[in-house]
Amino acid sequence: MNGRKRAGAEEIIERADASLLEIIDHVLNKGVMLQGEVILGVAGVDLVYLRLNALLCASDRVLPARDRK
Amino acid sequence: MIGLYAIALGAPPELTGARGEPLRVLRCGELELVHGEVPLPLSAEALRAHEAAVRRIAEGALACLPARFGCCAEDEAALSQLIEPRQVELAEALRLVRGREQMTLRVHGARAAPPAAGGPGTRYLEQRRRAMILPELDPLRSALANLVRAERVEGHADVASVYHLIDRGGAAAYQRAVEGIQLDGLRVAVSGPWPAWSFAPEIEP
Repeated sequence: MNGRKRAGAEEIIERADASLLEIIDHVLNKGVMLQGEVILGVAGVDLVYLRLNALLCASDRVLPARDRK
Repeated sequence: MIGLYAIALGAPPELTGARGEPLRVLRCGELELVHGEVPLPLSAEALRAHEAAVRRIAEGALACLPARFGCCAEDEAALSQLIEPRQVELAEALRLVRGREQMTLRVHGARAAPPAAGGPGTRYLEQRRRAMILPELDPLRSALANLVRAERVEGHADVASVYHLIDRGGAAAYQRAVEGIQLDGLRVAVSGPWPAWSFAPEIEP
């Protein structure tokens, strides 16, 4: 693990929208695998889910229109 | 170095990878290992491009097990070596996902309090059990029973993810069924259809 990769992963999480978070969860799942190197706890599942949780709380974008009232 | 995109059955011809490169298919028993160049450097765009490439494979193949971003091998021989010992498991997973696609539910909200009965150990185990199977979702399960072929649940602190495998083309009916159900104190966001990401065994180099 190195600093540059850590910054990259954090930047992705910071800029994430709902669809990107879905992609992160599906495409990365357990940590970032980068050229055979597994970086755990950087874009770790907990961090992704923390953001997902905040997003689901704060934004109705991902919910059906009926639930927005 | 080569990058793995998917393990497939009946992969379509003329596929392209995240860099626009033509993808190659390496046979390993009945498995087709769809691979291309090494992944792009990690970025949001690279993840989207990987997802799109996997989606193209899944849409044209009979069955597709997506490979996570960054799954690489030195060359075709090394890739074979990585996959060969797991052929039986992977072939079984391919049978499960054949003709199917994934829907993903993010479930947010307080979990029902565990029953007060029993000692701390019993209460802990009950809590764990509930986190694993989310019994609060049973009304949803009943509504989706005709559509769902397999389920995986991942519980986290505040958000649980439920992954469902459905027959291809069933996404609209699935979405309608989810939207027609009210769950006490839970908010459910649905996305999909996706390639069967959550039903693919992990391949780690």
